Amino acid sequence: MPLHPDYPLPDVDDPVMRPFWEAARQHKLLLQRDRRTGKAFWPPKPLYWNGGEVEWFEASGRGNIYSYVVGDEPFLPAFKDQLPLIMVLVEVAEGPRLVGYMINCKPHQMSFGMPVRVAFRDLTERIGLPVWEPLRSAD
Amino acid sequence: MNHNIDRDLFRRIQDRVAIVGIGHLPFAKDIGRPISDTAVEAIQLALEDAGLRNDELDGMSMFEMESTHEVAIARRLGVRNLQWWDKISYGGGASAATLMHAAAAVACGLATTVACHRARNRGAKTARPWAQERELVKDDKALHVPWGLIRPVDVIGMWAHRHMHEFGTKREHFGNVAIAARKHANNNPYAMMRGRPLDMQTYLSGRVIGYPLTLYDCCLETDGALACIVTSVERARDLRNVPVLIHSLAQASGPNPVHLANYNNTPTMETTSVFCAQLLWERSALKPIDMDCAQIYDAFTPLVITGLEDYGFCKRGEGGPFTEGGRIELGGALPVLTSGGGLSEAYVHGFNLILEGVRQLRGTSVNQVPNCKSTLVTGASGVATSAVVLRTE
Repeated sequence: MPLHPDYPLPDVDDPVMRPFWEAARQHKLLLQRDRRTGKAFWPPKPLYWNGGEVEWFEASGRGNIYSYVVGDEPFLPAFKDQLPLIMVLVEVAEGPRLVGYMINCKPHQMSFGMPVRVAFRDLTERIGLPVWEPLRSAD
Repeated sequence: MNHNIDRDLFRRIQDRVAIVGIGHLPFAKDIGRPISDTAVEAIQLALEDAGLRNDELDGMSMFEMESTHEVAIARRLGVRNLQWWDKISYGGGASAATLMHAAAAVACGLATTVACHRARNRGAKTARPWAQERELVKDDKALHVPWGLIRPVDVIGMWAHRHMHEFGTKREHFGNVAIAARKHANNNPYAMMRGRPLDMQTYLSGRVIGYPLTLYDCCLETDGALACIVTSVERARDLRNVPVLIHSLAQASGPNPVHLANYNNTPTMETTSVFCAQLLWERSALKPIDMDCAQIYDAFTPLVITGLEDYGFCKRGEGGPFTEGGRIELGGALPVLTSGGGLSEAYVHGFNLILEGVRQLRGTSVNQVPNCKSTLVTGASGVATSAVVLRTE
């Protein structure tokens, strides 16, 4: 499906977020962690934070639904083809919670705690958007 | 917990600064005038209510979202010399903060008489900021907008839905909030929803806007202009109105803030109000139990449920049951949103909650709580927020 001209595209050149979006373009999900404690966190910090104690790492891409909402009209025109849109808060296996939306899933199939895995939607040549789909037992 | 509050310094503010005048224009879907004009009239009305001359005003505290310049307002009012001003960010999080900054300025002598105000034209559907989102999404917004999470009803719905799951909060609890606000508004001649009763059956059949929230969970969209005047308590005693004292106040962002969507701030996703409440009550000689009523920011009904918890009226998770049995209605243990609030009076980023707090303490509310001596007024949860405890002498 073609991208709506008004789709709210992320600024992939943001100095803090650039590694995240560069990886997402290659369909990899990066998160940040504290180099000392190994604890993952979100949102990311600048790499100079606290004398350079943070690093990006590739996440498992697995998580569970922490909360969700289902949006319908009136909505941003850019999402009209996707309504009703299941927007989710995913608690990823590494700990933090990420905002996303579901694909390959209907609202009535949603439940709290349900396992999900990351997928990527190529919005433009430069932008792959991490989205989520149900993790089926065969996966 | 030690927040390094210098109590002697804080006592320069506590009960030393008062709200002496309030004013507002009738609320409307389309007020037909720019906010650069309505702001001036609202401040004029507040000055007249206080019995002060326009040229006695020397300070101004307002919302960063206001497009009007302070000097333009001051010029039209005929202020001789504006010597202190401030614009506070985060929309509904700024309401009580306008008082907080003004009180601090008055307490340390940077200004003698400050007008705090909000003028907001948002009645028209085309004025919704989320609907304008089509540029490259930068900074914090890039953490949620590219996934369509931009309507406030969805951002807050994420919290509300989790609260329902974790604590068994029911839609009927949200309904209790909507109905209490509506009952209060029904008595308020200024309320947009005067004469429009709401019952539980109607509430429960409301159109879904963003599941699990429906039409009646959402605030109104209103054009409005409101102001209040703040000065020293010594000066207040010489003026015509009962001085309404600013007893405690706080602003807080909480950890890890991401505009409305700071979902990583605590293990159980408490809103920014938790951190604001902690400071507010640490600075206060009064406690939640001492509040005769509360004006809790209500852009959406769940914010009142979590607000009751955050500000210590009940424990975490008990906000839903707290609303049962008419407890938050006039005549109940803690009447909430006694003018109808953002849900049923007018949505003006919570500034109407400040004016209603003042009326309750003056004894002039249309839904007067008998012998009201103190009240809590809060700003929006989710965003970096603010709150104030007001009391009489």
